[in-house]
Amino acid sequence: MTNSGQQPTEEAPLEYDPFFLHARREAVIIFCIWVVALIWAVPFCYYNGYAIDDPVNIPTTLGIPSWLLWGIAMPWFLADIFTTWFCFWFMKDGDLVHPAHENSKAAPAESQEATS
Amino acid sequence: MSWTPVLLGADSGTAVLWTFLVYIMGVFFIAWLSSRLLKGRNFLNEYFLGSRGLGVWAFALTLAATSSSGGSFMGFPSLIYTHGWSLGLWIGSYMVVPICVMGILGKRINQVARLSESITVPDILRDRFRSVSFGLIAVGLIVFFMSFNLVAQFKGGSEILRTLLRPIEAFGDLAGSLPDWATGLSNQGSDYLLCLLVFGLAVIIYTTYGGFHAVVWTDVMQGVVMVIGVIIMLPLAIYQAGTVIQDTQEPGIAASTTSRLESVTRRMATMVPPRKGTATFTLVDPKATQEQRVLPSGSWIFVAGEEGASDRLFKIAKGYKLASGSTSLVAEDQNGNGKLDKGEDRNANDVLDPEIWEIVDLNDILQVRKRLEKRTEANNLTGVFALSDISVRDYAYGAKPEERGAYVTGPGPHRDKVDGFLPLSLAISFFFMWAISGTGQPSNMVRLMAFKDTPTLRRSIFTVAIYYSLIYFPLVIIFCCARVLIPGMESEPDRIMPQIAVELTQNIGMGWLAGLLIAAPFAAVMSTVDSFLLMISSGLVRDIYQRNINPEVTEKKIKRLSYLFTMLVGLGALLGAMNPPEFLQYIIIYTGSGLASCFLAAVVYALFWPRSNSQGCIAAMLSGFLAHLSLYLVGFLRGTGFSAYRLYGMDPVVIGLLVSFVVGFVVTLLTAPPPRDLVQKYFCKPKTEP
Repeated sequence: MTNSGQQPTEEAPLEYDPFFLHARREAVIIFCIWVVALIWAVPFCYYNGYAIDDPVNIPTTLGIPSWLLWGIAMPWFLADIFTTWFCFWFMKDGDLVHPAHENSKAAPAESQEATS
Repeated sequence: MSWTPVLLGADSGTAVLWTFLVYIMGVFFIAWLSSRLLKGRNFLNEYFLGSRGLGVWAFALTLAATSSSGGSFMGFPSLIYTHGWSLGLWIGSYMVVPICVMGILGKRINQVARLSESITVPDILRDRFRSVSFGLIAVGLIVFFMSFNLVAQFKGGSEILRTLLRPIEAFGDLAGSLPDWATGLSNQGSDYLLCLLVFGLAVIIYTTYGGFHAVVWTDVMQGVVMVIGVIIMLPLAIYQAGTVIQDTQEPGIAASTTSRLESVTRRMATMVPPRKGTATFTLVDPKATQEQRVLPSGSWIFVAGEEGASDRLFKIAKGYKLASGSTSLVAEDQNGNGKLDKGEDRNANDVLDPEIWEIVDLNDILQVRKRLEKRTEANNLTGVFALSDISVRDYAYGAKPEERGAYVTGPGPHRDKVDGFLPLSLAISFFFMWAISGTGQPSNMVRLMAFKDTPTLRRSIFTVAIYYSLIYFPLVIIFCCARVLIPGMESEPDRIMPQIAVELTQNIGMGWLAGLLIAAPFAAVMSTVDSFLLMISSGLVRDIYQRNINPEVTEKKIKRLSYLFTMLVGLGALLGAMNPPEFLQYIIIYTGSGLASCFLAAVVYALFWPRSNSQGCIAAMLSGFLAHLSLYLVGFLRGTGFSAYRLYGMDPVVIGLLVSFVVGFVVTLLTAPPPRDLVQKYFCKPKTEP
């Protein structure tokens, strides 16, 4: 996404809705978290869980193969902690439809009901 | 604690039947309640979107249950059983699926849907860009993909129901009593047809009658059933698998839950995959009774080993019946021709393919012996057969000495693929598949349009994250334990879920619980089917009829059309599923990844990029579709059937998404910016009068 979107025409610059800007920021952060999860889980599991020298005596933690515990289970736990923080401390609430939009919609909505 | 294993028999079958009946009654009750809600509200908004009023539990569980199709509770367990611990990596991206699927698009798609008063995904795209053609392309793609998927899901639901009800004698009698003209409607057998009719009609009726709210509330019920099932099974599976090992070879090791799981992993580390092949079965006594001429499905046969060697153990994958007068089943595989249907009489010299599995792991053989002695394992073989011309083949990966430990390491054993179940490229692909492809599913997007407010979204993401954590990784543990508890299920891996549910609960004297646990997969597939059904009918009624053919249609007529189309689409899928096409599983994969390749880039640009325009987003949608389709066509031309060509080993969804995002971006920049008033409407605060 480029800054060219800031000025679709040559008129006065548009002032974006802070709700939209924050939603976009949240989406970018979530995508980054997915990338982090991918970069951690797949290489870690590949280097520690594939082509092991002595698989019969594979290292385990809590009864689970260690490569899977540290590669998937532990990051899963951390992902849940991150999700909790993200949902309750980072994400911002807001009106899904601004009251002014509601007002501007009121008249056509009424006329539509009248026709049906 | 001591326990006595019992068979999946009449008692458990009755429990399953009662659970199923109670469950269906609950579903119809919910549909009735939902239909009452429809009165006095805007019909379309309520019928297809629940009036955008979903609270935390309804929103969270409907999304979770819709995403967890029958595959989560039948296919996934069978994969764990077949390939071992590597399924932990396969499902690993579910750690971020809730936050990705709900968090990336949730706020914006809900906001834009409200601004444009959209009810469907094509609605949003059409209004966001004021492009009728974009809306029609979108609805065309949804109907195309979803119709195939719906047929496949109907078949999946029927297969699950057949698996669950098969042990019940009354079910077999009822299926057998269907008239010839009815059984002739399907090439899958009378029991399949009966299950399809029960499953299909139930879903069609409650979805048609109750609309979106019925679907959501049944999803909530189904979601609760699923998580309770897993929570109950986890400690039982670890305890009982540990006890099996403790009782057989390693006393003292299984003192705590952790060390019981440890002992399961240690056992799995030494496991050797079974072999698959064919053999000639010869009846030893030519005067055997008709009953003794039957080779029941799932029967075990021990064959004396050569001098000094231990006995060989075989399992018959499919059941056969010898015609009277004949004494042998000739095992010749001639490209699959002349396959014998289960239980069908044929002459001895017919070309057959009596599939057999040889268990080669010594611990597994010991466990099967014990289960047969304790009558935990059914062996209905009454006749005495001799096996000759045994031809069995090792797994392509996992059987060689240097590949030992395949069940506890990557890439996991595989019968046909020499690079194993989950090579690195596929592990990466599945990270895309679940989290990113899931974000691009229109069925999830519709749900994101229905939540009430942003606090609901936040709490729902958290709820689904906990919900998935309680389900997916525990399922890996449960079905790794199942490998130890019930060896030899590779011949019918889809039955491992009901089988383990029954064994775990009956072993602790609570067989009635089995019905509840077994309802989970059925609930999962039902919740997926009803959502897809509603998506197709909403596309036809809202996006095509109301918005293009007759915009002035009255609410009364819309109501009739919605009921009619939902019912017709359902009946069409039911008819299609009577004789389902080949490569059905591949079709499910194709449609899921195809929808993501088409929709994700277009919707992301539409929601987050003010500069985006209709040309760019249509290009993103069509290029994703064509890139994805072309990989399947290349695969088809290379002779791999409906299996896609994997460029650099990657799943087509990765390539499809990449092409879609790049093409959409380039075309947008090469074409004119969107009208200022559109950007103002969807990206800026409305101007307020002073």
